[in-house]
Amino acid sequence: MSDTQTTVSSGAATPAPLLRVTSLHKAFNGVPALRGVDLDVRPGEVHGLLGANGSGKSTLIKVLAGFHDADAGTVSIHGRELSSPFGPRGLREEGMGFVHQDLGLAPAATVLEHMALDAAGDATGSRRVNWNAERARVTDLLDRFDVNVDVDATIDMLTPVQRAMVAVVRAVGGQEQKGDGSTRGQILVLDEPTVFLPRHEVGLLFALLDRLRSNGDAVLLVSHDLDEILEVTDRVTVFRNGETAGTRETKGSTRDDLVQLILGARDEHVAKGAAVVRDDRPALLSARGLTGNRVVDLDLDLHAGEVVGVTGLAGSGFEELAELLYGARSARAGEIIQNGSVVARPTPADSMRRGVILIPADRKGQGGVLGLTVMENMSLPFLTRRAKGFRVDWKAIAEQAQESCDRLNVQPPRPEMQFGHLSGGNQQKALLGKWMDTQPQVMLLSEPTQGVDIGARREIFKLIRAAVADGMSVLCVTSDYEQLVEMADRVIVLDEGRIQSELHGDDITKDALASAVYAEEAS
Amino acid sequence: MTTTPAAPAEKKKARRDAAKRPAEPERFALLGVWAVLILVFSLIVPETFPTQANVSNMLGSQATLLVLALGLIVPLRAGDYDLSVASTLNLSAVVVAVMNVNHGLNIWLAALCGILAGCVVGVINGFIITKFDIDPFIVTLGVGTVVQGLIYQISNSVTITGVDRALSDVMLTQPFLAIPLDFFYAIALCVLVWYVFDHTAFGQRLLFAGQSRDVARLNGVNVPRLRWTAMIISGGIAGLAGVVYTGTTASADPVSGAAFLLPAFAACFLGSTVLKIGRFNPWGTLIAVYFLVTGITGLQLMGAQQYVQQLFYGGALVVAVVMSKIVKSRGERRRQAEVRPDVPA
Repeated sequence: MSDTQTTVSSGAATPAPLLRVTSLHKAFNGVPALRGVDLDVRPGEVHGLLGANGSGKSTLIKVLAGFHDADAGTVSIHGRELSSPFGPRGLREEGMGFVHQDLGLAPAATVLEHMALDAAGDATGSRRVNWNAERARVTDLLDRFDVNVDVDATIDMLTPVQRAMVAVVRAVGGQEQKGDGSTRGQILVLDEPTVFLPRHEVGLLFALLDRLRSNGDAVLLVSHDLDEILEVTDRVTVFRNGETAGTRETKGSTRDDLVQLILGARDEHVAKGAAVVRDDRPALLSARGLTGNRVVDLDLDLHAGEVVGVTGLAGSGFEELAELLYGARSARAGEIIQNGSVVARPTPADSMRRGVILIPADRKGQGGVLGLTVMENMSLPFLTRRAKGFRVDWKAIAEQAQESCDRLNVQPPRPEMQFGHLSGGNQQKALLGKWMDTQPQVMLLSEPTQGVDIGARREIFKLIRAAVADGMSVLCVTSDYEQLVEMADRVIVLDEGRIQSELHGDDITKDALASAVYAEEAS
Repeated sequence: MTTTPAAPAEKKKARRDAAKRPAEPERFALLGVWAVLILVFSLIVPETFPTQANVSNMLGSQATLLVLALGLIVPLRAGDYDLSVASTLNLSAVVVAVMNVNHGLNIWLAALCGILAGCVVGVINGFIITKFDIDPFIVTLGVGTVVQGLIYQISNSVTITGVDRALSDVMLTQPFLAIPLDFFYAIALCVLVWYVFDHTAFGQRLLFAGQSRDVARLNGVNVPRLRWTAMIISGGIAGLAGVVYTGTTASADPVSGAAFLLPAFAACFLGSTVLKIGRFNPWGTLIAVYFLVTGITGLQLMGAQQYVQQLFYGGALVVAVVMSKIVKSRGERRRQAEVRPDVPA
């Protein structure tokens, strides 16, 4: 910490950036994710990268790591101009290291084995691993960064923060191996490394970043957490809607400045229309003391006629609430009450029977089967309902699917198309149509407009509002504030598994949501 | 694609027309190759290949394999491998023979015992797979080996001959239209499996469970029970195949069943490249079985050695999986080209 050679604030000339990204573009199936982002990271700095969900942070990281190829734009590292595609190993060969959110560590392998794996690099598979030399190198590396773990410990023996530190040191070590011994700095990209770490241990990881900084290396830290960014970074860049909204010196910036940058200019929203919330009647679905992996002792009532939004930071538990209520993952404790009767252990089949349905966030993995037709995807809940004896009534199912597609404006309106060939928004509309045909009482939606284009998004909002007007109750789990502003009658904000605050009606604005979500760190 | 970037309305219409066109001509590719194969062999060996005796022999001799493969596609459709089918077939054959010959049990009751033995293997497979959530590949490999051991034990490692002729009569020796009866049984089973797959809720749920366990589960399908049922069906039908096999040989030996494993998988996977690409389907399996035997028989009539069988079955399995992969990625590329999202940029 006492180092004085942190280059950024040391005045003098601004050093040439180690990494410079210029006007990078990337679109998925025609939906732009990056519309020309710029970024430069200097030696000896920890550079924060902020942005709302879908702002393009992870897309940029994935382009740099070689998961995706960029459509246009250049990247220069150590002054060398490069343009995409960067090949399957991304820019690792050029001196970049990556630590992804899941850390990429195998639980049963030891620390030493992980590091030795990287050291092998491009060597042929038959090269003998010199375990003694590796052990010496790894021990030295861990010592240098003051990471106190046993090289022979398997990953599952380590605490979460130790794992994170091993992952970081591993990335550093991998680059050192490649380095020609010269003093050129490395660039390390950390993608939300702290989300799953206990709060009090995060400091250990940050101390490690300080040591990297004093080495003259550069760290790009992707995070959602404003306080973390303010605490540890030298400069911060904010992405918004696939563009660079701005870069600021962290010193002198406030949380409000950053929130403003993340959200952009305030824009007007469509009125929700007056909802008739029947909270005079018993709730359609309630949870009492619900406890899951992250959610702790949560009470919640869903009334007819309302859209309840649920949000929070990643890892706060808001993501799992819909699945817990549906029974897609089993709760550790607590009970679910529907129409006055307690549901012991909800299962998906049983929830469907009771008129509770879930549209999961992972549309491609859990929502529908890409390789089957739209009609087949829409048929599942009706196979027995519309059966004639043993026989599935395909004709009736086809008619119903066609009718749904027309009503919900699924484009192209052809149920015999493969589900995977529809765009994200149309997939979502088809799934909504399917579930609405089951005439549910409660719809649990998880990130309903993720990967959905603007037009379809509007239509989905309208459908949901219309359903609610008919007396349905909707729970919408999302980290998209704009969506909550447009849709929700009430928003609950979770922090560390508990309800941190609740916003109602006109109080639901992007600013209010952002400060509620980020507020918990402000203590 | 033939769509031109003209007026959007026109484009939409063109796309609708394109959908009417029988998509994916490659789904009939195997049928075409089969026809060519028949033609070629008929020209090269006209005195032996296109004869009634040969055709009826080909049709009848493959019934056992076809029945076995039709059982195997049930768990395959649910996304599970069943590597124990061949030893289950053998177990059933040995049980039938032992019950009938050694214990003097009525042949029809003995056949029932064989089928039940197959079901029991399926119950055990399914139990281990679903209760402990273990990869079916390894479970059925182990259980299949255990079954093979059992076979040696109950058969005393010898071939049991002298099975009641009544069984052979209904399978092989009293043909209808000069074709052995077991062929018609296999066709009947094919119709049954087709009906179950395409027209019952069970068949659709199998399909979803196989394509994505999560989607099926979140749509209220009891995936473990479904997988278990599929394993039992596969075991039971393998037992039935064992009965057919015993009928065609009038005996049961402890080893020959193992030779059915690879052909059965080859038929299922090759079958999944026909008619309904990427899906295990009974008619495709039927076509694949007879395609394979046509090739093998033809080559053998031309004087090829016994080993041609291995070459053909092994080759077919590998070609089938490669082909389905290629077709799948072609579909993906087509999707990229076809779907221009309706987004105002």
